[in-house]
Amino acid sequence: MTDTALDAPVVKARNLSKRFGKFRALKGVSFDIPLGRIVGVIGANGAGKTTLLNAVLGLSSYEGELSVLGLDPSRQRSALMKDTCFISDIATLPKWMKVVEVLDYVGAVHPKFNREKAMTFLSRTKIPQDRKIRALSKGMIVQLHLAIVMSIDAKLLVLDEPTLGLDIIFRKQFYQSLLEEYFDENRTVIITTHQVEEIEHILTDVIFIKDGDVLLNADMEELKEQFIEVLVTPGKEKEAMALEPISKGSTFGKSTFVYKNTDRKALAKLGETRRLGLADIFVASMTGEGQ
Amino acid sequence: MKTFSALVKREVLDGKNGYILVPVILTGITLILVVLSSLGLGNIIYFDDMRGAGIANLADAMNQLVEQEPKEMPAGMTLMYWVTTGLAWVAFPFVIFFSLLGSLYEERRDRSILFWKSMPVADWQEVLAKFFTPVIMAPASFLAVAIAAQLFTALFLSLVMILQGGPVSELWPLGLMITSWFAFIAHYLLWLLWALPLLAWLLFVSSFAARMPFLWAILAPLVLIAVEALFLSTHLFGNWIGLHFGEWQNGAYSQLSHDIDGPRDVLNAVLGGAQWEGLTYSLSNAQFWFGLVVAVGFIFGAIEMRKKAI
Repeated sequence: MTDTALDAPVVKARNLSKRFGKFRALKGVSFDIPLGRIVGVIGANGAGKTTLLNAVLGLSSYEGELSVLGLDPSRQRSALMKDTCFISDIATLPKWMKVVEVLDYVGAVHPKFNREKAMTFLSRTKIPQDRKIRALSKGMIVQLHLAIVMSIDAKLLVLDEPTLGLDIIFRKQFYQSLLEEYFDENRTVIITTHQVEEIEHILTDVIFIKDGDVLLNADMEELKEQFIEVLVTPGKEKEAMALEPISKGSTFGKSTFVYKNTDRKALAKLGETRRLGLADIFVASMTGEGQ
Repeated sequence: MKTFSALVKREVLDGKNGYILVPVILTGITLILVVLSSLGLGNIIYFDDMRGAGIANLADAMNQLVEQEPKEMPAGMTLMYWVTTGLAWVAFPFVIFFSLLGSLYEERRDRSILFWKSMPVADWQEVLAKFFTPVIMAPASFLAVAIAAQLFTALFLSLVMILQGGPVSELWPLGLMITSWFAFIAHYLLWLLWALPLLAWLLFVSSFAARMPFLWAILAPLVLIAVEALFLSTHLFGNWIGLHFGEWQNGAYSQLSHDIDGPRDVLNAVLGGAQWEGLTYSLSNAQFWFGLVVAVGFIFGAIEMRKKAI
């Protein structure tokens, strides 16, 4: 992990901004994404996630500095796409094409597409190859798109809500095959999704976005170390308050306090401690005091 | 080059109804009519006077024709074969028109643009392929169908003549037929260059229209024409469109003989260096060049719109 961090970052943004008229969708954000990471971009609707990813993919213009795999996405999209894949929104595959025609097309225009690999992935599905995309179910279309993307030897994969509207079994399979059959230390994956709990276990890094700002860009392990929830033993509430929790609540009649960057040994004396889930960390960060 | 041909192949697949099915079906209908009427001639179909002239079937009619107008036969047959493939060409302008209007519009509407943009293909390649396919591949397909139909008609008539005892070699003016195919290509290419600003306008409309590209393509020029007529009382813009649509031919071919009597004169007029005259006329015409500049502008605009589109 540490030696890949020494390499040039896959994505490097400095003061990246995007305006739509008067609305500032991105307010000068700066961050690096190194090689070999699975980064979750987490934020509410309209926070700027898709705007950010569109800039990274060369799909929209922007102000500020942005380099992806050493290229300027706004000018060099087609060169960038040799090493970058993305699934933006489900169901973008052309509905009028047959499955086999899509494979033919990708094979003809993409130098890093491995057709045998795609056929292997597809053989595990029930997707009929002589059918038109229009005739496939939503789940099959996503399976097909993922099979194509995983058969391209790319360095960066960007997934913007890739499983929206799919049922839970498809979603689980989707992330499982991504992790087991695609991801390695030479690739970087960026994911946005609303179903944070489902991707939590595969992420190595997270970026929190709120109102066009990057609130947090952290290593997942470190982040989880920082946030501790304590199920405070009755009678110790005063001591607990003295350690300045960032939020408090109660479950089953017991008080729960959430701490950030507080000495674990001190917390352990207050009661039972546990790590927070990513969704809770996100909420804690968004409420303001978490920063 | 491999990428470009893959793009063109994709476009042909996308538009195969218009490019392939339409000419095949329409030409098929004409061929059926040709077959039925040739078999029925003299039995079911007959004209006044035919019996008196001793015509009982198609072979009799052909024999008489060969006897009376031997010099007109090759040109006459060549023209006749073109007539049997004429119906399909009626649909051709519509195919070009709607293909261009949908080219950069449909991919935005059905969101497939996000998939195309995830491939290492530059926007200018996409736009050029989407322009190239309707204006070059569509007529190529229509012409291929027409040629096949002409050969089929000749073959079928030969069979009828053999069975009924009529002339066969007169049905095969192959040299003239091939010349007419090339003359068609030459004339089409010249027409294409003149019409390029109008066609590129359709491409440009398809690149920016958020909805109803059809209305944009038609209404915008109509409004301009109306505004010009209302405020300036001139018709420059409308005339300019007319010129590029086909009026230029009046100037280009004004030298052609108007003394036409029979199919030979028609073919002589069309094949006898008319393309050359049309080309030299066009190359020395300022409007021709201005139109090309406008076309390049629209294509450039379409590429810029494609870059921004998601």
